[in-house]
Amino acid sequence: MLRHNYWKPTMLTPVLAFLALIFLGPFLYMVWLSLTDLSFASAEHNGNFIGLSNYVRALWGDGIFLASIGRSALFTVLCVLPQAVVGIALAEFLHSSPFSHKILSPLLAVPALLPSVIVGLYWRILLQGEFGLLSHYASKIGLPFATGILSNPRLVLLSVAMVDFWQWAPFVTLVLLAARSSQKRAPLEAAWLDGASQLRSFFDITLPGLLPAILAISVIRAIDSFKEFDKVFILTGGGPGTASEFSSVYIWRQAFRNWEFGYGAALCVLVYLFIYLVTQIGLKWSHLAESQ
Amino acid sequence: MSRKIVVILTVAILVAIALVWFVSRGGRAINETPSDSAPQQGWNLPNAARPYKGATIRLIGEDYPPLQAIDKMKPDFERATGIKVEIERYEAEAVLQKVGFDLNSKTGRYDLIIQIYFDMGRMVTQNQLHPLADYLENPKLHDPSFDPDRDLFPVWRSMGWYGGKQYGYPMMVLTMYTWYRRDLFDDPQEKATFKNKYGYDLGPPETWKQYRDIAEFFTRPNQGLYGTLVQGKKHIALWQEYLNFLYSFGGSVMDTKDPSTYGPIGINSPEAVKATEYYKSLLKYSPPDSLNFTWDDALALMQQGKVAECLMWTDSTYALEDPKQSKVAGKMGYAMMPKGDAGIVHQIGGQSYYIPTTSKNPEAAYLFIEWMLRPENQIRQQKLGGASPRKATYQDPDVVRLPWTSVSINALEHTHPAMLYTVPESMQIGETIELAISDVLADRKPVKEGLDWAAVQINKLTNGKAALRYPTSAH
Repeated sequence: MLRHNYWKPTMLTPVLAFLALIFLGPFLYMVWLSLTDLSFASAEHNGNFIGLSNYVRALWGDGIFLASIGRSALFTVLCVLPQAVVGIALAEFLHSSPFSHKILSPLLAVPALLPSVIVGLYWRILLQGEFGLLSHYASKIGLPFATGILSNPRLVLLSVAMVDFWQWAPFVTLVLLAARSSQKRAPLEAAWLDGASQLRSFFDITLPGLLPAILAISVIRAIDSFKEFDKVFILTGGGPGTASEFSSVYIWRQAFRNWEFGYGAALCVLVYLFIYLVTQIGLKWSHLAESQ
Repeated sequence: MSRKIVVILTVAILVAIALVWFVSRGGRAINETPSDSAPQQGWNLPNAARPYKGATIRLIGEDYPPLQAIDKMKPDFERATGIKVEIERYEAEAVLQKVGFDLNSKTGRYDLIIQIYFDMGRMVTQNQLHPLADYLENPKLHDPSFDPDRDLFPVWRSMGWYGGKQYGYPMMVLTMYTWYRRDLFDDPQEKATFKNKYGYDLGPPETWKQYRDIAEFFTRPNQGLYGTLVQGKKHIALWQEYLNFLYSFGGSVMDTKDPSTYGPIGINSPEAVKATEYYKSLLKYSPPDSLNFTWDDALALMQQGKVAECLMWTDSTYALEDPKQSKVAGKMGYAMMPKGDAGIVHQIGGQSYYIPTTSKNPEAAYLFIEWMLRPENQIRQQKLGGASPRKATYQDPDVVRLPWTSVSINALEHTHPAMLYTVPESMQIGETIELAISDVLADRKPVKEGLDWAAVQINKLTNGKAALRYPTSAH
């Protein structure tokens, strides 16, 4: 038995080394870069160690970055909440309707399988002012702002969130449908026998049972939405102005347009820490929900 | 018998050797087109290329007609020199990224890059570009019949020189000018209605007031027609279009005549404020989604005949005049930029050939550049969709006949020497302008506040080397 345990870590060593090389190595390099002034835009900034200066600059001197974090957070809420709510409702509907379940379930996976770049291009064509198919007909039926849906600073976050909804709400539904299908029917039947309505039994029995899955998918989607890049870059480029400039777009701008690698790395570390913190809180809630 | 065999074999070998010698001479004669053998001082391309025969040069650039033309022409160079040319074509942003990664990581994938010239200063200060004097002064490499100062437009120095040294040659010289719907402008009924409303004849706009009047006149959303368009997406297109207005109204980004030097910041001057207010006023006559337009969208809208006039680039004109792609081919007119307080000022741009210091075959790459810049190749590239930096190209009868040739060339006489600067922070300055103007156009900031913000950012970016000239609100 002892000999068996001795071999376990030995067998795992190559995999752990590989993971360390692939994931930990670049991350540590990024942390190191964040402590330097490396910039390929300036000959003077050739990677000198500058301590925490980049972090100080980001947190106390870069209002655009902080605003972009706030924007990403708002976008995350705009994405996750509707996707979770609609996902729950659709999952319940599909669970109660085996025919729809059979027909629609395979289709639900399709948008999530498309690369985000393609989704962005596809929606850009659909929403291209009054010449885009969707925006054209939306303006014909008199919807306000229909022809400026991607260029109106007040609407742009909602527009991008709508595209994200199209891509990911079906996937959220699929996950919740799987969780719903694994729930036991007995407690529900007992509730119905006791005279509980469908709605009452849904809120008192089904929904609490789904909570761990809802939290898990919400955390995954929140992480994903917070680092959204592809679609927003193609749809709006972060504009108009900074109206849709998420932290990911801002970091890209610093690192790959302005070539400020040191500063860009510091911003990445900060975003990582932010996501880590939020994820930990989400997971804590998830565990709590599970234990209850 | 055996002697007979020896004799026959000897004769056969001699004949084979003679044949090989003859064919090899003949082959060279076929490959060596007249243009490949410059008679002056005994220089010719095959001889110059002999040491590099078998080498491969890898080139990267933006995937659009000028580079597609190079792709079509390269087999001639390969046949003449034995040097293989591999071309990678990508979207403009992707080229910036790939070149950036290659040069910064010193990978050495590319022997020759075609890059927007305002990024030159950054690359030079990072020691990423090879000075070309080594090759230009090398009689084995340089074709003595080519004199850049004599043969190219003077702007070639802005596009190829930095800090008193030559680093590049222009691949194309672009200008922006006015595109207008000649069919609409020549329509007698439109002319009469316009004169009745504005009190002067409808024609290509000569002033910015006329430009806006015409835009207003043709804005008819119910007919699917708009007067003009603004390339308002936060994108490089916005920065470049805006400069036409800024400089024409008497403003500037930095007050300097040399694009590679810093000057006092003029982006928040009263003239710049006026220019920006005018630019913003055009949104009323532009399609509703203009704040999400780049030059690609602008071209597509023009091709569909949805817009009456706009400012656009030389290299897009081919696609506009291609009946396969455009509903308005043959119906377009081209005019000089309208006159502002500072006169007629055209935005210029373009991309240049540069040889990275990490190039594995810099000499072969240099030979390719000079070959591309030959008169006959420039004419060929021009016809395939180029914008030649070589003056003589525009004397070719076929090129002269193109409806936009005269305007695009005259425009070169009306540019500001430092509209697009080559200081190392150029791209960042451009980003700042994009952001500021995008905010202003979207009503997220008042004009003066947006321009003040840009001025402060440029001052910070350049570490104070570009000084603030006009007072700014706190940022």
